[in-house]
Formats: sequence, C-alpha cells, structure tokens
Amino acid sequence: MTTPTAGARPDEVRRHNRTALLRKLHVDGPSTRASLAAELGLNRSTIKALVDGLAESGVVAERVPAQRSGAGRPSLLVLPQPHAAVVMAIDVRVEQVAMALVGLGGDILGRDSWNLHHRSRDPGEVITHIADSAKLLADELDVVPVGVGVSVPGVVRRADGLVHEAPNLHWTDVALGSRLSAVLKVPVQVGNDAELGALAEHVRGAARTASDMVYITADVGVGGGVISSGRPLRGTGGYVGELGHMVVRPGGRRCYCGCQGCWETEVGEAALCRALALPEDAPRGAVVAELRSLAASPEAVAHRLGEFTEWLAMGLVTVVNMLGPELVVLGDLFTALPDQVVDEVRRVVQKRSLVSRAVGGTRILSSPLGRDAKLLGAAELAFEPVLSEV
Amino acid sequence: MTEPILDLRGINKSFGPVHVLHDIDFTVQPGEVTALVGDNGAGKSTLVKCIAGIHPIDSGEVYFEGEQVHIHGPRDAAHLGIEVVYQDLALCDNLDIVQNMFLGRERGKAGLLDEADMEQAARKTLTSLSVRTVKSVRTQVASLSGGQRQTVAIAKAVLWNSKVVLLDEPTAALGVAQTRQVLDLVRRLAEQGLGVVLISHNMNDVFEVADRIACLYLGRMAAEVLTKDVTHGQVVELITAGRSGDLGIARPESATI
Repeated sequence: MTTPTAGARPDEVRRHNRTALLRKLHVDGPSTRASLAAELGLNRSTIKALVDGLAESGVVAERVPAQRSGAGRPSLLVLPQPHAAVVMAIDVRVEQVAMALVGLGGDILGRDSWNLHHRSRDPGEVITHIADSAKLLADELDVVPVGVGVSVPGVVRRADGLVHEAPNLHWTDVALGSRLSAVLKVPVQVGNDAELGALAEHVRGAARTASDMVYITADVGVGGGVISSGRPLRGTGGYVGELGHMVVRPGGRRCYCGCQGCWETEVGEAALCRALALPEDAPRGAVVAELRSLAASPEAVAHRLGEFTEWLAMGLVTVVNMLGPELVVLGDLFTALPDQVVDEVRRVVQKRSLVSRAVGGTRILSSPLGRDAKLLGAAELAFEPVLSEV
Repeated sequence: MTEPILDLRGINKSFGPVHVLHDIDFTVQPGEVTALVGDNGAGKSTLVKCIAGIHPIDSGEVYFEGEQVHIHGPRDAAHLGIEVVYQDLALCDNLDIVQNMFLGRERGKAGLLDEADMEQAARKTLTSLSVRTVKSVRTQVASLSGGQRQTVAIAKAVLWNSKVVLLDEPTAALGVAQTRQVLDLVRRLAEQGLGVVLISHNMNDVFEVADRIACLYLGRMAAEVLTKDVTHGQVVELITAGRSGDLGIARPESATI
C-alpha cells in the first residue's frame, strides 16, 4: 500500500497482538511465556497482560512446566484450550464425505464420515446429511462451532463459496457456501481441496518450515496447491491449482475437461488402477492393499509401476520448473505409493529439472498427514477469521 | 482383480441336530468393508465365530491369502492375523488402555515388562488411526465411554498387524454420535488395506460404510452383492425372504434349518 494509513490506536495494537499470540499458540502448540515474548518480539509485561486476559476468558490455561530448563523460577507454560473455539471441517470427496470438529490448537475432537453413491452424491443430499451429522457431533461434544470450512474437489469461488465445476462429483454451479451457512447458521468458507491440503501441510505437516511449496494430491482427480513466499498462490478469482490438467501426452486419453492427455489421465486413481490391473472403480482400500503387497518386491514395483512413475516424474519436472518450490508434498493416494517409487521420482526430478539442480535438489516427500490433510486444511480455513474474534 | 484375503468354501456347521450353516461360501477382499447382514438366527455370529476359531467347522475349506489353512482355536486365528471385536466390549475394566491392548501378549524380557515400549506402541497405533479423542493411554478402561472402548478394541486389531478384522455388531451398545465415530474408524481400517467384516442390523450404517454386502438367510448365503448395485429395499428383501428379483436363493421356501 502506498497511501499513508491512519495511526493505529492502542486497542487496535492490542487486538493485533492478541491475534498474533493466539495464532502462535494455535499453530505451534503450548509455549512458555518467555518463548512467546521472544518469538513475538513483545515485552514480557505485554505478554503477561495478554495471557491474563485470555486466561480469564478461558481461551488458554497456564501450568508450571514439567521439565525445568535452567536456573531460576520457571516461565509458565501457556496451553490453548481446545474447547474455547471449535470449528467444523468438512472434506467432500468423490467417494465419501468426512467431517470433524476441530478445537483451538488443531485437535480433532470428534469425527464422522460416510460413503457417497450415485444417489447420495446430489448436492441437496450431501448438505442434508452434513446438517444432520453436524448436529449429532455438536450435541455429543457439547460445543457450538463458530465457523465451518469445506474442501471440495473442484473449481471454487472463494468470495461466496460457489462451486463452479466439480466434474468428478457431477456438480455444476452449486452455491455450497450460502446453502450450508443458511442451514448451519454459521459463516462457511469453501476452498479447493488441493489448496487446503497445501495449507494444512504448511501449518501442520511436512512444509512447516518451507515458504515455497507445492502440494500435489491424487484422489479420483489430480490437483495442486501452491504456497509461494509463505502465502497461498491464488491467481485471479482464486482458481490456481488445476495442475492435473496440464497436457503431458498429446493425443493421449480424452479428459472430461475437454483436453486430451492431461496429467490426471496418466497419474490419477484410474491410471493407478490400470497399472495395478484392478478395475477402474476399485475401492480405495483395495488399491492401498495392492500397493502394499507390491512394495515387498522391488522388481514387481519397477515392472508394474515403471510407466506410472515415469509420467509422475515428468509432470513434476514441469511443476518444479514452473513454480520453483523448495518442497513438493505428495498427498492422498500418492502417500500409499511404495517408497521406491517416490525415491525414483525424486532422482529423476533432480536430474532433469533445471530449477531443482539450481536449488541443490528440490525435496519431494509423502504427506505425513495422509488422508486427513484436506480436513485439517478446511479447519485452518475456518479458523482464519475466528482467531481475531475469540 | 486382487485375490481375496480370506476365502471360505462350503462351510457347514451343526449344533447337535440344528444345522446352522449350510454350504457357506464367503470371501473377504483386502481394503474393503464387507457387511454381513441377516435376520436374527441367520448364522452371522456363528459364521464369525467359526472364522475366529471359537467353533470348529464340520466341513468346508478355509483359504487365507490363497493358502488352505486349518483354524483349530482362537490362537490359530490370531496367529494368521484375524482379529475379532465383539459387541459386548471384550475389554477389562480394571486395566488401562495399554494393558488391555497387550493383554495376554505382553512385551518384555527376562520376566520384566517393557512398559515404556508397550506404551509407545499403543500411542503410535492410536495416532496412526487419527484417534485423538483419548487423552492418555494410561486411562483406565472403566472411565472411557462406549465409543472410546470400541476404539480401543479396534485399535488393538491394528496394533497386532491383523490382516482381517471381524466386527460383530460393534455399535449395538452405542449412542448415535458414538456410532458415527466407530463407523468412521471402520472405514479408515479398510483404507489402510485391511479386510474388514462388519456385522450390522442398521441398513443406513451398512450403506454408508460397506463396499459389498453378504446376506445370510436361514444359514445359507443368499447373495454377495456390491453396495453400489443394490437398494435398501433389495437388501431388506434378501434378509427377510432370501431372494429379491434375480438375486438370492432359487427356492427359499425349501430352505430348512
């Protein structure tokens, strides 16, 4: 911003500091007062005033740390209280919906999920089921969610949560955000699944220390989320991330997006099923079981997944060259790939990508959050506005 | 297609004059939830107990991972990697979570228990299943809710690297919300590549978690179908009448006990 803004009033400064402190506790977990003061660059007395205020309203609790770190009176440990602010995270997938209540600090307090079949995949059905389940979970845990975050595998308008297209769900122009907030009576934010996966990895997973990272997810479709200089890369309207639809094989299989030979048609779940000689609609567990039994024999992995590995590496070379991340996290179905495949992909990318060579080898990892990444990302999305209000 | 992890062929079982299971064929696929449904007395629990080695079978063949096996007792089943979770919460109230998970198979050497190792393994297993509702693994089971107890019972199966988990009405004694939590866990078991068999009377639950449905009718296997191919109504017909349209036993009226 180039125009000078008005000076900040003390209560605004205080609110800003309070939010910063809460965010730090929410992301990094319990910390001592001393380390909060050091890391936020605030005076100890400011920290004390803020923590006292938060403790009084029950948002944090203080405890004498169990382990002493040195001489003198130990600094009190400040613990976020999960029940002080609870959000609801919903992960809509092609074959199932998972939802969870997540407390301050990122603890999952309760969860539910159900399979989707062709009839129950209708947006109305999904919304009804979410509303029923939300009430059950909230009653059981005796909490009132203050926000809702939803992850959807499709192109989503962030401003109002309109799902433009979610081809694998067969949804077009579904006003998911406004319909859900009308039913649940709390603010609802909707985001693209890969973008939220990237957010979760950045806040709680493998990419906590990486400020430039790409998260690649494979469910039925393939998508990507990008964190650039510590912030999500959104593009116009927030539509960045359809990495699964780069054309890698001219004249390849026809994709529903209108192109031929998209990356998704070579490394998506259907492609993996073909490589494993499973039917293309095999349940997820069957794919995981087959990959696991395959992992025992390196020759079998090389033989059956060789071509798949090649396509995965080829797409990743382009992704790394284009976006220049320091870390690529492979999520969801890719976490079930044998280590051997990930190692091979890492080796190929390092050899073929200019950017990877220049930065001394882009790291490529399997997601430690696995299947929960998008759910946790949706929770973080919902927490975003909540932290400044608690 | 992957080969079934557990394959039963022509299983027969009688209790005295009562012929409970007639030529049952039943398969369990890895990574799938197979729901076993049927009316009261159809033989669901008996079938599970036969697989678990509690009842010896009279005739028939059992194949595990493609090889024929003979299950003579619960120990044989556990050795193969078959774990059973019962509806009546087979945990000891006076022990904590770690002690329950390792009951009868404690780790240690030279006559001493390795508590730290067991505690760590228990915690790791609960984390791998994303169970975050249990505060400490040293909590006594008596103080856990029904849902948490079933969670512990199911986690036990994962801890022992089981390949097949049989759940006999795991949610019968639970409230609605706790049922949801347990079913969520059941699905995550299958997503880890285990073969899961779920006995349930609740059609909604079955349709929400199961990949395939096996219907027993008066001790016979009426049909094994994919969940996505059938409707609630068809399954209810299979349970109550033994057939529905082209599915089911050819002449259920001639079926005898």
